[in-house]
This record gives sequence, C-alpha cells and structure tokens, in this order.
Amino acid sequence: MNFSISDDHQMLKDSAQVFLDKQVSLKPLLTPGATVRDAGYAANWAKIAEMGWPGLLIPEDYGGAGLSCIDLVMIVEELGRTLAPSPFLGTLLGTLAVMKGGDATQKSRVLPRIALGEIALALAAAEADGREDGPDRQTRASQHGGWRITGRKAFVIDAAEAQMLVVTARTDASAARRLFLVDAGQAGVQVAIEPWRDITRQVCTVTLDDAEAEPLDAAGDALWPWVRDRALLALSAENAAGLRHVLDVTADYARQRVAFGRPIGAYQAIKHGLADMLGQAECARTATLYAAWALSEENPRGPLAAAMAKAYSSDAYVEAAHRSIQIFGAIGFTWEMPNHLYLKRARANAELFGAPREHRSRVIDLARAELAA
Amino acid sequence: MDFELPAEDDPRRIEVRAWFAERPRPTGRELAEAGYAAPHWPKPWGLAADAELQLIIDEEIKRAGVNPPNLVNPVAVNNCAQSLLTHGTDAQRERFLTPALAGEEIWCMLFSEPAGGSDLGALRTTARREGDHYVVNGQKIWTSLAHKAKISVLVARTDPSAAKHAGLSQFLIDMASPGVTVRPIIDLSGHENEYNEVFLEDVIVPADRRLGQEGEGWAISMRQLQTERVALSKPGAIWGAGPTARELVAGLDQIGALDDPLVRDEAAEIYIEGEILRLLAYRSLSDRMNAKASGPEGAVRKMLAAPHGQRIVDLAKRVQGPRGMLAGETAFPLTPGRKGIYDDWDYAFWFSPAVTLGVGTQEILKNVVGERMLGLPRELDPTAKGPWNESQTAKRAEKTA
Repeated sequence: MNFSISDDHQMLKDSAQVFLDKQVSLKPLLTPGATVRDAGYAANWAKIAEMGWPGLLIPEDYGGAGLSCIDLVMIVEELGRTLAPSPFLGTLLGTLAVMKGGDATQKSRVLPRIALGEIALALAAAEADGREDGPDRQTRASQHGGWRITGRKAFVIDAAEAQMLVVTARTDASAARRLFLVDAGQAGVQVAIEPWRDITRQVCTVTLDDAEAEPLDAAGDALWPWVRDRALLALSAENAAGLRHVLDVTADYARQRVAFGRPIGAYQAIKHGLADMLGQAECARTATLYAAWALSEENPRGPLAAAMAKAYSSDAYVEAAHRSIQIFGAIGFTWEMPNHLYLKRARANAELFGAPREHRSRVIDLARAELAA
Repeated sequence: MDFELPAEDDPRRIEVRAWFAERPRPTGRELAEAGYAAPHWPKPWGLAADAELQLIIDEEIKRAGVNPPNLVNPVAVNNCAQSLLTHGTDAQRERFLTPALAGEEIWCMLFSEPAGGSDLGALRTTARREGDHYVVNGQKIWTSLAHKAKISVLVARTDPSAAKHAGLSQFLIDMASPGVTVRPIIDLSGHENEYNEVFLEDVIVPADRRLGQEGEGWAISMRQLQTERVALSKPGAIWGAGPTARELVAGLDQIGALDDPLVRDEAAEIYIEGEILRLLAYRSLSDRMNAKASGPEGAVRKMLAAPHGQRIVDLAKRVQGPRGMLAGETAFPLTPGRKGIYDDWDYAFWFSPAVTLGVGTQEILKNVVGERMLGLPRELDPTAKGPWNESQTAKRAEKTA
C-alpha cells in the first residue's frame, strides 16, 4: 500500500512541466478568430514526438517506452494544465485501440510508426447525437471481399491531422460494435473541421463512403470498454490539472487585486470560493490517480474508478472555470484573457465520451454490483 | 503508487488477529498494554506503529467487534493525551496516560465558551496563581462527555495583561473538584448530554496540573484540535461514526428508490464523493508513511467530509416523504452489525447540523484553508494585538459611548 506518487513519476511530471512551459503559448488564441493551428498545433506535435510521448504506452517490442497509465497521467496532466494544442489525445485514443485490438501484424505495422512520431491517429466513435453507445448507430461495416465502412462519425478529436483512423461500426452479422482501422488518406474518407468552441483542440466530422477498413479483433468485445475507460482517464487527468491551474491563477489574482483597500482574497465571499475550489482540485486529482492505478493494474474496480473520475472532475472543472471568471470580474469575461479557454475546455471535456450524469448512472450500476457481492 | 490495502495474509495482520483470537473480549487496559489503544505513539504507550500497521490494528479491532479505544475515550486518545508526551512532566505521564488509553478515566475538553467558540482566543475563564495552586473561574459550553469525564483539559487565561493568544495556559482538572458543575444541553435532536455546560467556581487546581508552561495554552490547544489520530475512519455521517454513502446506496437500492433518475443521480454524486474522501484519507496516511510533509489533504478533508455526511442523511430523509417526519422513523433498516445511536438514520439526520459547527465551524475552516493553503490575507482581528484586558476595556467604553 502506497498512495503517494513515486519519485520517478514526479520526475516525469516535472520534466513535462519544464518542456511545456517553454513550448506552449496560448497567446495566439487570445485574438478572436484564431484556431488551434495558429497556436502551434503542428509545431508542438513535432516537439512532443521528439520527447517520445506518442510511444509512452506502446510496448518496447514495438518501439515504445512501455510505460503505464500512471506515467500517462503525469504527462496528460501537464498537457491539460497548459491546454497544449496538439494531436496528442486523438493519437493516444487511436493507439490504445491498436495496442489492445490489433493482431501482431497490425501492431508491427502501425505502433512503431506512432512511436517514431511519423503518424497521428484519431478515434471515431461518437455519432451526431454525441453518443458512442446505443442501438441506433448508423455507421455500418460490411464485408465484400475486404471490409468497407459507410457512415458519419462526429466529434472526432484530431481527425484532420490523422493519417489513420480507428472507427467503430456495426456489422450486418451482429448488432455488436466492432472497431476498424481505416486509412484516412483514401478517397472514401472526408474530414471536416468543426467550429468547436474549445479552440485549443481540433474536433472534426468524418464521413466514410465505402471506405476500406480492417477489423481490430484481437480483444473481441472487451476492446471498446478498455479503450473507453482509458479515454475517460485521459480526460479526467486534463480536467484535474486544468482545475488546479485555474485555482492557482485565480488565487494569485485574489492575492494581488485590491478593492476597498484590501486584496479581494481577504473577503470571505472570495476566500471561501477559493477554498471550495481547492477541495475540488484535491478530489479530482485523487479520483484520477486512483483510476490511473486501477487501470494500470487491470483492477476490477478500474471501470468504476474511471467513471467516477470523469463524472467528478468534469463538473468540478466547469464550476471552477466559471468561478474563476467571476473572481477576475469583467476582465475575465474578455477574449483577451485566457480564462475562457479553460471554461471552454472544461465544458467540452464534460461532454466528450459521456456526460457526467451518464457516468453517474453507470457508477450506480457498478456500485450496486459491488455492494451485492 | 499502489492503492492496495494491507493484505489478508500480511504477517502483521496475522499477529494482531491472533492476539484478538486469544482474547475475544479484551479489557481496555489489556488493549492499552498491548499498545493497541494508540499504536502510533512511542513505546511504552504505543507501538511506534507506521500508518500501515495502524490501519491493520484499526481494521482488526473492528473485525473483533471491540469498541475502539478512540471512540471509548476520544478526547484523550484522538486529541489531548498526546500533548503529555511533549509538554507533560514524567509525573503527569505516569499518572494520566495509562488510565486514559485504557478508557478507565474518560476525558473532556473545556475549550469553547459562550463568548468564545470559533474565536476561541477570546475565552474569559481565568486561572489565577495563588502559591502552589491556581484558582479557576468561568463557564465552558458545548462540552462533549463532561457528564462522564473524570479528567478535563482546560484552557484558561492566566495573564490578562498579555496579548489575546499569549495569555492562555492549559490544565488537567479533576472533574470531581469542588466548584465544578455540569449541566446537560438538550440539542435539537432531543438527545441529552451529547453536549454540556460546565461551570467553574473557585476551582482549586494544583500547580503541578498545569500542562506545559504558562502562555503555551494557545499553541497546545491548536495542536490538539488539529491532531487527528491518522484518520482511518470511513467518511460518513456524524464525522464518520454514522451511516456511509455505501450504506446509503445499499439502502436506496433496497427500497427501490434508485429507479427515480433524480435520486439515482444524487446518490451517485454522494457515493463518488464518499469514495474519493476515503482515498484522500489513505493518501494522507501514505504521505505520513513516506515521511513526506503531510499535504493539504487533512484539513481539506475535514472541510469536505462534514457536508458530505450531511448530504448522505439528507437524501435518506427526503426519500422517506412525510413518513420521515415521524419521530424515530428510520429511512432504512440498520446495516447488519450496527446497533448504536450513531448508526440510526433518523438520529444521524437530526444531528447533522452539528457537524459543520463542531471542532471549528465550516466558515472558520474555509478561512483556514484559504489563508494557510492558498496564502490569502488573514482575517482582521482588532483584539489580537496589545494587552487583552485593554482591548476589553476599550470595547466596553465603545459600548457606553
């Protein structure tokens, strides 16, 4: 039993912090009309690839670092703290699917190229209503010699940058979802970048018209929940660290900004709000670290831990980002301040891969099963 | 990082379990002499146990169905007796510690006063030195266990001309001393003696009962209020002694209330909070084990845990509808193995306003978190500087003017 972060993990986090503080600037986004591409989306990615982060989880046999979900969280926290624009998240989600669902040939073909930073990936799971699950998914895969996919996927993170897509689709034979690897460069794949409010991130719609695809079948039905839980973990890590950053800058402002002769942080309305934010930041981080541990150990509580972390951290981050704007006052409401970038990231993350309430409903099912056992 | 708790076959656990197997009904003194009453204390009082061993002992005490020493004599074991290790004399340690850890002498804390609760430093009870003893006069309030206690830990003003917090000292008082009167307070739950008033009239206290030096009373008191025996208790109602979020979900499930999507959603929020608070407690435990400076988890956890406990019993009460307003009507049957008043859902609900008041109100706690952890400016206290008696004279003059 040791709930503390090891020195190795802390060192990894510290090095990521030093690198990103130097590399990332959100300044270009503080001009209205700017997009993620104006804020170093491609340049950051090149540097991130040099750091070896795309291969963080990839086993050493395939050219990666073979590290765990706990290591991943150390990195993603720093990416979330700085809102670093780059196709890291999309690539991570696609990589997870290939790692778990690919056969040996697929893995040897794809994973080393990811680890070298040669290709970016994206995971196309949701459809127009934003949900990944449900019986009414439209995207279909069918087999005429090889597999072909037709349909439309929505809210796909980093798809326009990706050379390869992982696409979920139903097959004619069964209602079960399967995941497929799709070459994004082929004629049957169209990617449109959407006007996503979180301008630190690229979010796209992907239209597939009889696109060639190959199934990722090595893990069977276990693949999707496995990938989903790790997607929830990554978003939770972004949320927890973003929340902590919002707290730090807001507390700093409250110590300096003077009104009625005292720093505004002296007034209890402000002070107590910041104390609440600190409580939320501690809770969000603890829930995230627990999920990281549970998933890295393949502990039976992993899915519950991931659902709890995503539900809690999403709501807490939104609340803190909103409160931060209130404490900054009217200046915090302007485009030229970074506060809105955090509010928008928080709001967007809350909706991706299932809203908090959806995960809370799952938490009840999982908790009931646990209590009954 | 490893969130796995000490295993069933951990050799230390096997040893503790064997001890309880030999003594299915240990006396308090047997527990104390084995070092199980305060395992984290140095020998001979404790076992100098690390956090993991403490957790094992705590779990095994529960498993054996033995009333835990920290609930039998909470003021001594959790808060105050530890001060004797650092500030007490050899004679004080000899006289007080074993009976306290054994639960043979129950302790209470004479801290809060009608005019000094959150602002404890404003207390008015005086201890005047006269030769080889002190004479104590004043009134204390909100004293848990005063009706059962043999020993009380008193903080009183020994030097009214010193600054507010500098003029205070601590004493160990026999509650049987002439001049000590205890009156029960009936709280809003209707329960008697959870809290008491204590009146002190010309109580003679021998000078060798002073704990620490004159003027050290504030520092010692603050440490006692913050000292939590490495908190192993589950988060829940009544500061963790009452029903938990897990029991809430089980109870709601039992009566079919989780089919209501709003109840389901709220129950999930509370459940998640409970799980996180449990992990936060373990994290502080780990930090101590690794001898890292304890993070902010401890103080923040108190700020989070009290409202969490209120939310648990509030949802349970609301699903009852009007039936919940019938006195003694419980939301769910008691969890098997639980039977005390703290386990009763109805009592836990009516007690719940107290948990954001006791041991520092929620507002004071948020001030502490904001000031000590976020470096925000301190609250103004015009009475904090200069001689205490002059600030009081000035206040009276202001009133008459």
